[in-house]
Amino acid sequence: MTVKIMADSLGDIPADVVKDLDITIIPIHVLFGTTSYKDGVDLTTEQFYEKLVNSKTLPTSAVPSLGTFIEYYERVAEKADEIIVCTISHKLSGTFETASRAAEMVKKKCRIKVIDTLQVIMGEGLITIEAARAAKAGESFENIVKLIEHNMKRVEPRMAFDTLEYLKRGGRIGAAQAFLGSVLKINPVLCMKDGEIYPFARERSRAKAIESLYNFTSGFNKVDALAVEDATTPGEADALANRLKEKFPGVPLYRSKVSAVIGVHVGPSVIAVTVLGDRKQ
Amino acid sequence: MKKIETADGQVLRDTFSAATAWLEKSVADIDALNVFPVPDGDTGTNMLLTMRSAVEEAFRVPDHSASAVSQAMAKGALMGARGNSGVILSQIWRGLAKGLANKDQFTARDFAEAFLEASKTAYKGLSNPVEGTILTVIREAAQTGVKAAKEYGDNLIVVMEAIVDAASKSLANTPNLLPVLKEAGVVDAGGQGLYTILEGALRYLRGEGEQMQFRKPQIVTSSAVAPARLPPLNVKEIPFGYCTEFLIKGKDIDADKLRERLKKNGESLIVVGDNSNIRVHIHTLDPGKVIHIGTALGTLHQVSIRNMDEQHEDFLEMQKQRLPASDVAIIAVSPGSGISDVFNSLGAFVVPGGQTMNPSTKDILQAVESVVPDKVIILPNNSNIILTAGQVHSLTKKNVRVIPTRTVPQGVAAILAFDYDSDFETNASMMEKAKDSVRTIEITRAIRTTRLGDLRIRKNQSIGLLDTELVAVGNTPLDVLNQVLEKIKLEDYEVVTIYYGQDIPQAEAEKLAAELREKYPNLQIEIVRGGQPHYEYIVSIE
Repeated sequence: MTVKIMADSLGDIPADVVKDLDITIIPIHVLFGTTSYKDGVDLTTEQFYEKLVNSKTLPTSAVPSLGTFIEYYERVAEKADEIIVCTISHKLSGTFETASRAAEMVKKKCRIKVIDTLQVIMGEGLITIEAARAAKAGESFENIVKLIEHNMKRVEPRMAFDTLEYLKRGGRIGAAQAFLGSVLKINPVLCMKDGEIYPFARERSRAKAIESLYNFTSGFNKVDALAVEDATTPGEADALANRLKEKFPGVPLYRSKVSAVIGVHVGPSVIAVTVLGDRKQ
Repeated sequence: MKKIETADGQVLRDTFSAATAWLEKSVADIDALNVFPVPDGDTGTNMLLTMRSAVEEAFRVPDHSASAVSQAMAKGALMGARGNSGVILSQIWRGLAKGLANKDQFTARDFAEAFLEASKTAYKGLSNPVEGTILTVIREAAQTGVKAAKEYGDNLIVVMEAIVDAASKSLANTPNLLPVLKEAGVVDAGGQGLYTILEGALRYLRGEGEQMQFRKPQIVTSSAVAPARLPPLNVKEIPFGYCTEFLIKGKDIDADKLRERLKKNGESLIVVGDNSNIRVHIHTLDPGKVIHIGTALGTLHQVSIRNMDEQHEDFLEMQKQRLPASDVAIIAVSPGSGISDVFNSLGAFVVPGGQTMNPSTKDILQAVESVVPDKVIILPNNSNIILTAGQVHSLTKKNVRVIPTRTVPQGVAAILAFDYDSDFETNASMMEKAKDSVRTIEITRAIRTTRLGDLRIRKNQSIGLLDTELVAVGNTPLDVLNQVLEKIKLEDYEVVTIYYGQDIPQAEAEKLAAELREKYPNLQIEIVRGGQPHYEYIVSIE
């Protein structure tokens, strides 16, 4: 029985890892006005941020059609007996709904399970990577599902912002709106809670916000994997990644870019760290 | 300083067009404030639609006289009025138009008089005017406007400033007049809408049209101490019924008679308009009956019937989602209005007080008792208040912790460390630690001649304190501040925040910030209006 892993493009998994672990990524769309781009396919992340800064109209994101999902499922089903699909939190996007409905329509041909990771960016990414690794090692469908559910409790992203303006405009801000309206200039750091964006810390400078991402990793006993992401500030993210590599020698660290679709909602200055591991008691 | 002696209809049009755009930015925030008379959560939207209709009509008249434009706006407002506050707003325009009748141009005095007329008209449409609402705000603002016009009748901007200022104060006080607002810890939504419109108008008159594009109106903070309890969420004794609205077009309709007839059919009744156009707004359990009465008088237009119980549930849901749940409240003592804004914006409740105006234990106790959570963290922000705050825990059943912050910057550093996910004890210890991460400079004046170490200090000289230790003396606050700054290795720090006091003009603070930026290009320098007395500057260095 061959199990294949699929995910939407919002997990920010680096292209080489996608290829290596044979993960199928369904691109979410970015709309500039009426022109639609497939995330990471028609538009690289770099091109996107260039457009975001220069475009007069603000982009929006859109879940691909039911038909697109079905097409993808059918294509993967040709080489697989069972499919597990990891999606971004349903509280941030309609991807899970569409992916689930599409799965209903093709399940006769192939067993498909769609899992809402309740995560975003590399939170979703690390869960998917670990699942794909298990699939490649020949683990059973049930065991992979269990692993995903286990890892969902062990993954934590932290995102440092310069502004929450983009999040607010996109209506994805959730409880993090507690950080809005500050009279003082603050650099908010956000996390995920129950599938929603949630306030974590308020720092007075970007440097401190990035430091807070670094310090956050100290709260873990055992770290299985790390991810560092940026949108348009690779230098900063590289420096942070190097420090984390020193702090956690031997732990795989994925260095990737926040996808264009997420970029629509977080803006060009975001920088994020995700940990998969066990918290100190 | 810009001065406007007279204005015509064109100015009126442009000003309120800008004010409407200003209001638009705040609509969602105002909607979220809505608790009165029933939580239908769309006051901001309704006021915006009413204003839009008024402005559209204003642009339709070719005439540029104040009289013609204000008449048009009154008509547009009536036609487009929606919701309780929208209808009252249309009455305000009607009164304003009455006050500006037969005038090509108007002076500040004319405007103040017309605004007073607007206030009176606003009260007239209502069968049962309630204080602590938009009505109170316009009445108090209008009274102040008339007073200001006596002295500055030749300057529209000054009179408008007085009106806006009075509206802001009146609005902040609404929770003291209306318990439902106090419970929710917000100001009246309709009052906020009116204030935002007036404030937008003032900004435009001052010539700030450009900046307005990049800024956003602020929601006024309640001056009442925060809520004693939240309204019960799931208990629903009385159904709210249906919010029913329509416009009657007919001939010789007697508004007073109609109001009398409708009175017993529901709550929040408003009947306004002239004898051929009448707008009706009522919360009723039987919309059919109300519509029936309306159709007997003429044709009905823009009929809207909305189920308020449904809206109420949506509203509660919206309120729930608004903020992260925390069972800890933070109370900060603040010496100035600007500093209060800072603490409020970071999620704290504020007790006013500071140097020479220390709050009593009772003041702080009252605040502790009035917040919802049982766990309370107090930030005294002044070394003379730490002990007072320390008394509170023995007087209340609540779990109280005092973080001994000796300065405002320490208080701010402490509150920034607050973590929604951590428990009370963890938060208290994190905040305690965070307060020491910041250094504080305070610039004030010597109250007597003295000698301290090497420093010889004359009465009224400027003195500078670094972390509450006196370290510098000089003749001007700026000179002293620079002396203290030189004692610190600023290269080792990242962020400097300057809270300038009530006696310091903003321009002076900006100049200081510019100088510092030039001297220390790597530092992030921020200036904030602190509004505190006695201290010209309070500076935080992190």
